[in-house]
Amino acid sequence: MASPSTRSRLLGHALSAWTVAVLAVLWLPLVVIIVLSVAENAATILPFTGVTLAHYQATLQDGALLGSVANSATIATLASVLATAVGVPASVALVRYDVPLSNAFRVAVVLPMVVPGVVLGIGVLISIRTLPGITPGFVPTVLTHAVYGLPFVVLLVSARLAAVDDTLADAARDLGASPLVAFRDVTLPAIAPAVASGFLFAWVRSFEEFVRAYFVSGTTDVLTTEMYALLAYGTAPKLNVIATLVLFVLAVVLAVAMTAGDVVSAVTAGE
Amino acid sequence: MGDTDSVLGRLVGSPRARLAALLAPSGGLLVALLFAPLSFMVAVSFARVSDASRIIWHPTAANYTALVDATPFWSTPFVTSLLLSVGIAAATTVVCLVAAYPVAYALARRDRGRRVVFFLVLLPFFTMYLVRVYSWYLLFGDGGVLNDIATVLGVGPVDAFGFGVPAIVVGLAHAQFPYMLLTLYAGIEAVDFDVLEAARDLGASRRAVFRDVLLPLTLPNVVAGSLFVFVPAFGSFVAPRFLSGSTVLLVGQLIAGRIDSFNIASASAAATVVVVLIAAAFGVAARYTDASAGGDH
Repeated sequence: MASPSTRSRLLGHALSAWTVAVLAVLWLPLVVIIVLSVAENAATILPFTGVTLAHYQATLQDGALLGSVANSATIATLASVLATAVGVPASVALVRYDVPLSNAFRVAVVLPMVVPGVVLGIGVLISIRTLPGITPGFVPTVLTHAVYGLPFVVLLVSARLAAVDDTLADAARDLGASPLVAFRDVTLPAIAPAVASGFLFAWVRSFEEFVRAYFVSGTTDVLTTEMYALLAYGTAPKLNVIATLVLFVLAVVLAVAMTAGDVVSAVTAGE
Repeated sequence: MGDTDSVLGRLVGSPRARLAALLAPSGGLLVALLFAPLSFMVAVSFARVSDASRIIWHPTAANYTALVDATPFWSTPFVTSLLLSVGIAAATTVVCLVAAYPVAYALARRDRGRRVVFFLVLLPFFTMYLVRVYSWYLLFGDGGVLNDIATVLGVGPVDAFGFGVPAIVVGLAHAQFPYMLLTLYAGIEAVDFDVLEAARDLGASRRAVFRDVLLPLTLPNVVAGSLFVFVPAFGSFVAPRFLSGSTVLLVGQLIAGRIDSFNIASASAAATVVVVLIAAAFGVAARYTDASAGGDH
């Protein structure tokens, strides 16, 4: 029988190997996307016939597709600003105050993250169809995505708030600062990384969201619904290009975010 | 913490008014775009919808009985798709749990490389879901990349790489994996490992320490992570749409299909059943998470 130290080293190697294997599977589809974005034959990896930038050129000349990218970015920005603007006060209330039914509110805030997109999408769709003066389109998409992003903001910010010492804010108020000023000058700087992470998560979730947008976006061109239409016709080389470009932009944003603020502890509530 | 705050609150101003101001915006948003639409959908599921898509508010359970109108009742498309969705969501949850627990443990126990691993986990999570599913679509299938590779290696084509249930489970597990990993990591990271050391010193085997100490301590996170995987997988639409190879129909696809064919009442009834089942899953999960989670992270 192996000695205990040998066994724990073996266990350590097994954990490392497992982690590497899981990461490899996570990255497999991304590698396919990146490779196909520069492949002459964008339909499949094998046989690989050659490298080309033609798909990039075609994508950057596709005005309609770029327009839908701009639309989706606008919707994502408005939705995540709204989600952050309502989510941060809610987090403060949940963590710092004795909220009646706070557990029920906590569950309610998480619900948009887990209620299936199909269910929420048709719920909103049939509701706005019945209401006079509202039609599917830009505004319903922004609002639906804001609700979708809300859980990410509240989970990240309230986890951070719970970890931050609030006696400083109390002291500021004791010394005469209004609650608003105490929040702005003391609490907000301390939770800023989590607010930024929440905003980032909400932005990305909106930008790439499909099912809800499919039902509530109406005639507004959204990137994902455009992509879905393209995919229905088979191969869509431009999708690989857009996904690759978005991937690189987000890689930089995430790298900066993880260096500047502690995204990991914000995301996992670990301290 | 809450006590000092409410004392201060009474001194500074009406805490109730401040609380209302803090919660009203998010509460309003949730009511307007979650609870009201879902309540309306439930109402429609008990109404009649005319051919001209006009809702006739005449209470009826016909939309529900139509969902199970066959002998045996589980042979209707709805019940079949519902059961299949539960099975696929359960399989997805197990795959995520088994894949994520060792990784979460390794991340919690070692500082080296933690940031890099998190970066590599989060980036796929941030890549457009639709395109990721499309990528799996290219990987699977008889003529897909996985089978090409298997053929080159001389072992293919492999049946398991065809479209259908396994492909859907892989696509969904890939999409939901980070939720499980982050939830498990938060739990394992908070564990006092001195307790595990003590158990080892007292002669417990690694297996026993895992089963009797680590797993019970992290059970709330296991349950919460499973919920974050199971529920979205249960109602998924995109992954089965591309990866089923039209061999199977999940309940999310069935609901979307009924909306697309203007069968609003039936879609509402089916979606209501899904919502009720999800609420039940939350109720069961709350029994395991509330006690120790308690809202404190």
